[in-house]
Amino acid sequence: MTGLAFDPVLPWPILAALAALALLVALWALWRGLRGWLWRGLAGLAAALALSGPALQSGTSNKLSDIVILLDDRSASQALPGRSAQTDEAVDELTRRLEAIPNTEIRRVTVGDDDDDGTLLGTALSRALAAEPEARLAGVINVTDGLLHDMPMLPATAPAPVHTLLTGQPEDWDRRLVIEEAPTYGLIGQSVNIRLRIEDQGNVPASVAGQPARLRISVDGDNERQLDLPPGVPLDLPITPEHAGQNVVSISFDAPEATPPELTDRNNAAAVQIQGVRDRLRVLLVSGEPHAGERTWRNLLKSDANVDLIHFTILRSPDKLDMVPVQEMSLIAFPTQELFMERIRDFDLIIFDRYSVQGILLPVYYENVRQFVEEGGAILVSAGPEMSSVESLNLSPLGAILPARPTGRIMSGPFLPQLTDEGMRHPVTSGLPGAPSEDEQDGHWGRWLRMSQSIPSPNAQVVMKGMEDEPLLILNRVGKGRVAQLTSDQVWLWGRGFEGGGPQLELLRRIAHWSMKEPELEEEALLADVSHDLSVTVTRRTMKDSAGPVRITGPDDFAHELPLTEAGPGRFTAEWVPPGPGLYRLVDGDITRVIAVGPAAPREFEETVATPDRLEPLAGQTMGGVLRLSDGVPSIRTVREGRPAFGEGVGGDWIAITPREAETISGQTHRPILPDWAWLLLIAGLALTGWLLEGRGWGRPATPDEQA
Amino acid sequence: MNLLRKLAVALFASLALPGPSLAQDAEPDPRLVRAADEVALAYVVTGDEEADRASEAGLRGLSEVLTQRTSVEPGEPIGINLDEDDLSLLTFLYWPITDSQTAPSAAAYARLNHYLRSGGLILFDTRDGDIAGLGGPDGSAALQALAAPLDIPPLAPIPADHVLTRTFYLLEDFPGRYQGNRVWAEAPPADAVATEGVPFRNLNDGVSPVIIGGNAWAEAWAIDKRGLPSFTVGASFEGERQREMAYRFGVNLMMYVLTGNYKSDQVHVPALLERLKEGETAE
Repeated sequence: MTGLAFDPVLPWPILAALAALALLVALWALWRGLRGWLWRGLAGLAAALALSGPALQSGTSNKLSDIVILLDDRSASQALPGRSAQTDEAVDELTRRLEAIPNTEIRRVTVGDDDDDGTLLGTALSRALAAEPEARLAGVINVTDGLLHDMPMLPATAPAPVHTLLTGQPEDWDRRLVIEEAPTYGLIGQSVNIRLRIEDQGNVPASVAGQPARLRISVDGDNERQLDLPPGVPLDLPITPEHAGQNVVSISFDAPEATPPELTDRNNAAAVQIQGVRDRLRVLLVSGEPHAGERTWRNLLKSDANVDLIHFTILRSPDKLDMVPVQEMSLIAFPTQELFMERIRDFDLIIFDRYSVQGILLPVYYENVRQFVEEGGAILVSAGPEMSSVESLNLSPLGAILPARPTGRIMSGPFLPQLTDEGMRHPVTSGLPGAPSEDEQDGHWGRWLRMSQSIPSPNAQVVMKGMEDEPLLILNRVGKGRVAQLTSDQVWLWGRGFEGGGPQLELLRRIAHWSMKEPELEEEALLADVSHDLSVTVTRRTMKDSAGPVRITGPDDFAHELPLTEAGPGRFTAEWVPPGPGLYRLVDGDITRVIAVGPAAPREFEETVATPDRLEPLAGQTMGGVLRLSDGVPSIRTVREGRPAFGEGVGGDWIAITPREAETISGQTHRPILPDWAWLLLIAGLALTGWLLEGRGWGRPATPDEQA
Repeated sequence: MNLLRKLAVALFASLALPGPSLAQDAEPDPRLVRAADEVALAYVVTGDEEADRASEAGLRGLSEVLTQRTSVEPGEPIGINLDEDDLSLLTFLYWPITDSQTAPSAAAYARLNHYLRSGGLILFDTRDGDIAGLGGPDGSAALQALAAPLDIPPLAPIPADHVLTRTFYLLEDFPGRYQGNRVWAEAPPADAVATEGVPFRNLNDGVSPVIIGGNAWAEAWAIDKRGLPSFTVGASFEGERQREMAYRFGVNLMMYVLTGNYKSDQVHVPALLERLKEGETAE
């Protein structure tokens, strides 16, 4: 690149004025008839030109190569039979053809898949475009099935044609199960709906099209139900969660028989997990007398959004005398008949808070409460000193099911509540914040000041101990129900912050919820978490000293014994990698748990039939084409920018890249046309010539003076 | 070795944690243990002997009435020295205001604030119901000075539908030795009317941490060793009626302290039982 450049010594207007002056002088000289007028003018102009500093400028530039992005999709859906070979072949062929075009570089980008997010082709393409200089990009070629899952990340346009070559065959088809709506939670015993449909995609063979699929539905692997569902018809499938915690609903259909077979059967099944939750829990709190700890119970139960509390306090026991007329009192009769006979089955938990037998409840009511527990109810006794008196609840018919028998001794004096060995394992007490341990006496808990001595019943679990290691919190199961007993009423001291206090709300909450059989607080539990990389963490919580091995059964007669290792008091864990997708049943003793293990990349197999739809807008914007590889790998041409970049030729389809002719300038020289002394010589020569012409008379007759 | 370590821990604890001591080897004050075990009523020792005697006699009188008429059977009243005693074992504190009272220490205020936050209740009594509001010197200035460092929520005169009017007896006024004066408690939340049904996450169960008035309640409750009233209240028969009402207020107040908004709930019980019935027919 060479050119003329000016480097004026004076501002341009002055130079222009100078040139104009030179012309004026020349014109004046002409008018005066001076013979040197031309030379005078030229000298002036040359002076103006010299001042403008003309120079020759020349640069050295390099032509840059064109860049073509060749992107291949290697996600799981591209691994369907045939597609991977198709992709390899296309990439090899395109590489060869692109290399044949002179001055062209290939940038390879390979897209994998993310387990949960599917194929992120849009993101990869945006990144690749951003990484290349815009002026050199001559084309983009995607080799993919078109099933990308990040449409919003796909660039709207590109500086060069974006072509997409679709894998797959024209006769590809697939039938899949679509879960349109599935609840995450459901009330136990109340049915919830899963909305699903069967969808056919692609070129469905006539023998299959419109034919119903036979659905198999089971909950936790049991009670398989079958029903036929034609494609495209939404179905509301009622499911009733039977138990708390995960209810695994597995839905599948068999692959329809046809030639060619459907692309994949991985999208023919789904597992929906519904967390079974209980309806609002109904708690009856009966306080035997107003006392300092009563509001602790109220605070706990009223702050629990999941609890309907019905509370009664014996504000005045029958042996009290008060002359005040009834209409001036705000007392109502304790509706014992209604609560303990008629409505007792409506409650999930009855709490006796410092309740003593005061002759208010008839023996038959206690009998009824006992029956209520044996049939699956729960009672919690928080006992004060009345437990050791003759009015003890233990002396009522209820005593037979209470987990501890009082000795009659009230133990007064400060003591630190502690966890027993069983308590360290038991979910009600294990991990309570700030718990003092055996060897370390300086825990954060505050002390309590009195308790009743008692003898726990043989089957009961003592999870906390108090003064002289006497039982403080005792838990037991009776029939189908549960009973819990606190032998001290001073848990409220923790709430008041006496000596720093303790986690009284958490403890009481756990006791109450354990007695109402909350799955998270079960002593014997088998938990299994399926992680993203499809490994399963199996955790067994138990009160025993050992656990396992866990027997695992799965699809295709899979059976495995998984040994567990101890991870803490009452916790045994193991890692396990299932051999493939499907429902697995984990069994240890009486505890069973069903887990659903999905395919490795579930999104990849939601849809499998190659589609041009998602990449077509971008191709349209950039004059690129979307072609099917099943028609052969297209040839590559070059066209000018702005021209259609694909078409059909004699030898088959072609796609084009647009050479960009980009170049870089690597150096520049600046050379004045004449050196300064040459300018001086030139101007002086011109001026001298004019003067000589006018003065010495070259080329004119001598004047008479001169001849004399 | 172990002893040495314990000693070191105790030493460190006493250095690091001023205020309420967490050292657990110390024997708790037996009077306070009794307060926790028996729900004993407590009063602030003011240093004014006459007032302290009246407080003690008043709380004894109220304890007597509670024992006679209700399931609550408090033990002997306990005098509290705010500068020394741990308040976390108390449920109810009566604080008469006298002119001569000196303000408690900063540590005492920290204990008082913790007491109020964790569910305790203080009854402030300016004992000036006969002269308050007449423009003369009354107890309000002393009360303001004493209560300023306390975390007291916004206050309002107790409304006619407050649960304090029906925790045990039905009351219209809260008389002591004087009557007809306003009694103040925590202002109800602005949306109290709107919340129908069970309040949600009300951790203190809506119990006002303070009740403030000037009706000289202790003097109305006070009895001497023989069980006879120590102070005259009003005149003749009318006065005895007023004393009875003062006792009823005392009973209601204790029920409020111990059972919180229990009597507010009671309103909902029929509705809840009705709801249970509906659930059954629906199934």
